[in-house]
Amino acid sequence: MFKNSLFSLLLMTAFMVLGASSASAQMQEFPVGNVIEDFKLKDINGKEHSFNSLHGKNGTVLIFLSAQCPVVKMYDERVNKLAAEYAAKGINFVGINSNSTEGLDWVKSHAEANYKFPMLIDPENKIADKLGALVTPEVYYFDTNNKLLYHGAIDNDRSGKNIKDNYLRVAFDSTLAGGKIERTKANAFGCTIKRVGME
Amino acid sequence: MKIRFFSSSKEKARLIFIGLFLLSILAIPAIAQDSDGKTTKIDSAAMKSLLAAKGKPLLVNFWATWCDPCREEFPDLVIIDKEFAEQIDFVIISLDDPADIDTAVPSFLKEMKATMPSYLLSTPDEDEAINWVSSNWGGALPFTILYDKDGSVAFSRLGKVNAARLRQEISKILSVDK
Repeated sequence: MFKNSLFSLLLMTAFMVLGASSASAQMQEFPVGNVIEDFKLKDINGKEHSFNSLHGKNGTVLIFLSAQCPVVKMYDERVNKLAAEYAAKGINFVGINSNSTEGLDWVKSHAEANYKFPMLIDPENKIADKLGALVTPEVYYFDTNNKLLYHGAIDNDRSGKNIKDNYLRVAFDSTLAGGKIERTKANAFGCTIKRVGME
Repeated sequence: MKIRFFSSSKEKARLIFIGLFLLSILAIPAIAQDSDGKTTKIDSAAMKSLLAAKGKPLLVNFWATWCDPCREEFPDLVIIDKEFAEQIDFVIISLDDPADIDTAVPSFLKEMKATMPSYLLSTPDEDEAINWVSSNWGGALPFTILYDKDGSVAFSRLGKVNAARLRQEISKILSVDK
């Protein structure tokens, strides 16, 4: 009896340890150069899309957004302009909301009012976990083979008043010109993605 | 000649009462320090100087008024500040818009009765500032970092802090420093 209980306890502990390490492994950063497998998510209207079906002919930007984050709101206008400008050059923007605290109606009304590109819902933050996305807004720019080319901030200044480095635009222009992206990563202050079960 | 300090026990009691009264007046500012929420704008260079080792453990919390988890953890931080006030330095660095330095930021700090030194970081290169603070930080808020007296990182936490864990980490470095 005691041996059985001890065995069960050890088994449970092992599962807890493995579970914890696998959760932290999921939050590892997805390095530039890695390839993301195609995935499927529903958009704000309940229609399912594969990531590959949303590709632009010259690349795709997956941008983590939020319906309530003030930093996202500061970027909304710039993001829309950038998306429209580069859609014409074959780079598509795809929005993704991984915040468990934001209801579908809220996300839908914010997306419809602010974005002209599709908005996917990541209900269990699986894609956020896979990519190690932590904040909004946070961008992942992939080539047509889903290889990550650039990750991080859109530019250096949330307010938009002192933009000196247009990280994402420079990355676009470099690849469209057939060159190498000099800066493949830039951090930026933003709102934490509210994951399922987050403290 | 014999000097008489007190003519009677009644007078003695009166003088003691006056003395205690004066002492209590002098002690008030130290005991009930008001929070005016005054916040100083700093750039990246000033932040680095602020965070440099000064021979005392230092706790730093990066936050913003628009960050819900930051607001939620704040009451715990205020209590921790009071608990360890004599043993560690504690500064808070806001990432709010500089336009909020005299409005939303002090208003929240007053509401929280926060008295720790408050700064607002304004930098044209957020990426550089984030990387300088910690390679474990991607810019999400809140971010809390504890340095030991020599300036080495003893603990850091992305997201809301667990108050008990933070107390434990502070106590740990204080016991090492003894």
